[in-house]
Amino acid sequence: MIQSFLLVGLPYAAVLVCVLGSIWRFRSKRFSYSALSSQFLEDRQLLWGSGPWHVGIFVVLAGHAVAFLVPSVWASLVSNRTVLIGVEVLGLGAAILAILGLVILTLRRLRNGRVQAVTTTVDLVVLGILLVQVVLGLLTAVTHRWGASWSTGTASPYLWSLATLRPDPALVADLPAVVQAHMALAWVILLLVPFSRLVHLFSLPVLYVFRAPLVVVWANPRRFERATAFVERIEARRYFLRATAGLAAGGALLAAGTFDQFVHFFFGPRMSEKQSADLMEKKLARLEQNAAQKKLELERTRQAYIRVAKVSELSPKKGRYFVDYEMRPALAFQGQDGLPVLRSAKCTHLGCTVGSDVDAQGRILCPCHVSYFDVGTGRPNPGAPAKDPLPAIGWVLMDADLNIVASRSPDGAVHGAPDPSQLQDLDVYIAKAPEGRRA
Amino acid sequence: MKLGEIAGGTATFVRERFPVEKLNAESMLTKKVVPVHRMSWAYYLGGLALFFFLVQIVTGLMLLFYYQPTVSDAHASVEYITQHVSGGALVRNLHAWSSSAMILSIIVHVLTTFAMKAFAKPRELTWVTGVALAMLVFGFGFTGYLLPWNQIAVNATKVGLQSIEAVGQYLPGEMATWPTYVRETIQGEAAVGQATLSRFYALHVIVLPFLVAGLLGLHLFQVQIHGMSRGVDSERVGSQKFFPFFVIKDLSVWGVAFLVLFVLGLCLPFESFFAYPLMEPFDPLGSTPEGIKPEWYFFFVYYPLELLPYWAVMLGMTAAVVGLFVAPWILRGASRRTLRAIAIAAAVYLVVITVFGQPIYEALKGVNP
Repeated sequence: MIQSFLLVGLPYAAVLVCVLGSIWRFRSKRFSYSALSSQFLEDRQLLWGSGPWHVGIFVVLAGHAVAFLVPSVWASLVSNRTVLIGVEVLGLGAAILAILGLVILTLRRLRNGRVQAVTTTVDLVVLGILLVQVVLGLLTAVTHRWGASWSTGTASPYLWSLATLRPDPALVADLPAVVQAHMALAWVILLLVPFSRLVHLFSLPVLYVFRAPLVVVWANPRRFERATAFVERIEARRYFLRATAGLAAGGALLAAGTFDQFVHFFFGPRMSEKQSADLMEKKLARLEQNAAQKKLELERTRQAYIRVAKVSELSPKKGRYFVDYEMRPALAFQGQDGLPVLRSAKCTHLGCTVGSDVDAQGRILCPCHVSYFDVGTGRPNPGAPAKDPLPAIGWVLMDADLNIVASRSPDGAVHGAPDPSQLQDLDVYIAKAPEGRRA
Repeated sequence: MKLGEIAGGTATFVRERFPVEKLNAESMLTKKVVPVHRMSWAYYLGGLALFFFLVQIVTGLMLLFYYQPTVSDAHASVEYITQHVSGGALVRNLHAWSSSAMILSIIVHVLTTFAMKAFAKPRELTWVTGVALAMLVFGFGFTGYLLPWNQIAVNATKVGLQSIEAVGQYLPGEMATWPTYVRETIQGEAAVGQATLSRFYALHVIVLPFLVAGLLGLHLFQVQIHGMSRGVDSERVGSQKFFPFFVIKDLSVWGVAFLVLFVLGLCLPFESFFAYPLMEPFDPLGSTPEGIKPEWYFFFVYYPLELLPYWAVMLGMTAAVVGLFVAPWILRGASRRTLRAIAIAAAVYLVVITVFGQPIYEALKGVNP
């Protein structure tokens, strides 16, 4: 019986009284229809009490309102773990802020003589009820966690049932006592609105935030100057505050939007076994490539001759890359006389590596700045960015027993004549000795 | 000139550039005003460059958490950042886009301050430090380009360094080999390799940031202590308070810039402008792939190097750099109209060579001889 009164009768009674009472108060005591501010009696403690209280309760009520007005949207929002935790933390913080503010406001009412003089019993009752209400809400949040989530299936539909005049108290009848008390007290507060300074809920000075400041001055030139400077200062301050608020809001949105990414950036990836294996394989291949490069270098410091290829492996159409004694790229071709042609592949213009494909005119291309070099002479085409020919590199031909059969010095002089029938089986070497190296 | 006069002149010079009586928050912050006129937008460019520099510091430090500066690991570590690290591709993309944005805003900043004669007494130091900062930022671009150790990076660095050596052909006798020593000193070895990577890494991550921080401090200090230059010849110039109005607008511009940068970083990978093989790891034994080019902000010197005789380009560039440094003194008497004409001519050259460099090159050289 009591429960059905608290869950159905009280809400309707409260709304009815609130609406009718407000109308009555507006018609009979119009000038009391405000917060009845006591700022001019005491403003320091008011700032530290009223500020936190209003900020805190605004955040909390906004959360309640969204959950009740659009429960499906809210439910999908808080189904995300991060959002749910964020909402709960924000709500708890705001509630604590509101309680702090209320405590300061209550102490102020009780201790300041000037404020006490204008304090009525209703004021103290309202303060007390508000304090109890916020504490109940805080208790609910702490003892029955994740209210942001479970309220969408209980309190929200219950409120909708009330609003659509088909009250369904069963939706909340089984909720814990602390939650029911919180709900009942909310209706009591609504009931009290027309009879207390809570009516300022309906007379919010919203435009105050946006309108330009008014300064009342005497019509006197000296004061006028001072007033102008004053207005300028106020305008600068308002601009600064508004802009800072905007930037802070933007910054908060930005932080919220990028936070997830950046935290995970530092957390580092947790790869699957296959991914790590693939990555390791790739890194190993690079290390091996690097090791091969080092081996080549070492070989070039230690060895008198270095094998390039078999003569039969050379082609007149496609050069074969090798590394010369200076660790620079070089190309080996088959010349027109069947003997090898070895040429540096480092472009004489700016040092790019020349391509290995021989075109119809017997030239190879440096792709960086389009220079064509003749394979036979090494000379660049007229008008090419490169001016100097690609240097020739001397070679030595050896048989399988490492006997030198023939050699060519960089200037083109051939020593010895290989037997044409055996030529294809010989190996091409470059030599460290000066006479075998290019000029 | 007597020694005493030189000392006195120096003292006066320093005293005028560092006015002690203005060394307080009041004249550097609360009383400072920013002129309002047709060219006022140019006052935001320096701040914009600063903002992009801050983005570079933050994203650069983030990349530093994963990057490994060795020949065998550099490319793999960059790939690791873009493919595996959460948000890594975004951070790297932001770093790349922001570098371009920073250089662009610096170039426009130099041009506009030149046109507005912002280097006039007593702001010579602001100008000189500014030109030095611009050079350092190009240094950032050049050294940072090598770090991913891909084909285009290493080959473009080779080409860039090789062009130092080309100075040798104009030097007499023994001096002809000096540029080679210079190049190899920068490279750290005979060819671009691990030593070069280590050096460029040190320059990019430690040396240049500290140099920039120092010069930037001096630059900003001079800007605050002398205030903004008037910028135009016209007598009727309005003004607005630096704090809070200009500061807030500056921050708003930063906000918009970040938004654009972020969207760009999310949606458009900077590598999409390069042909695929250029992003492959550098292969010391293979041939150089086609399309090796420096970043767009080097085009103004790259294409002339391709098209004109080397000495002409070097002479022109040296003259331009020296001219920029001594502009406050040689252009002391120049009117803003003249300066604007010079700046516009320079801007036209930069835009044309940067945007149409390739077609011009192909038209003048012929692609297939």
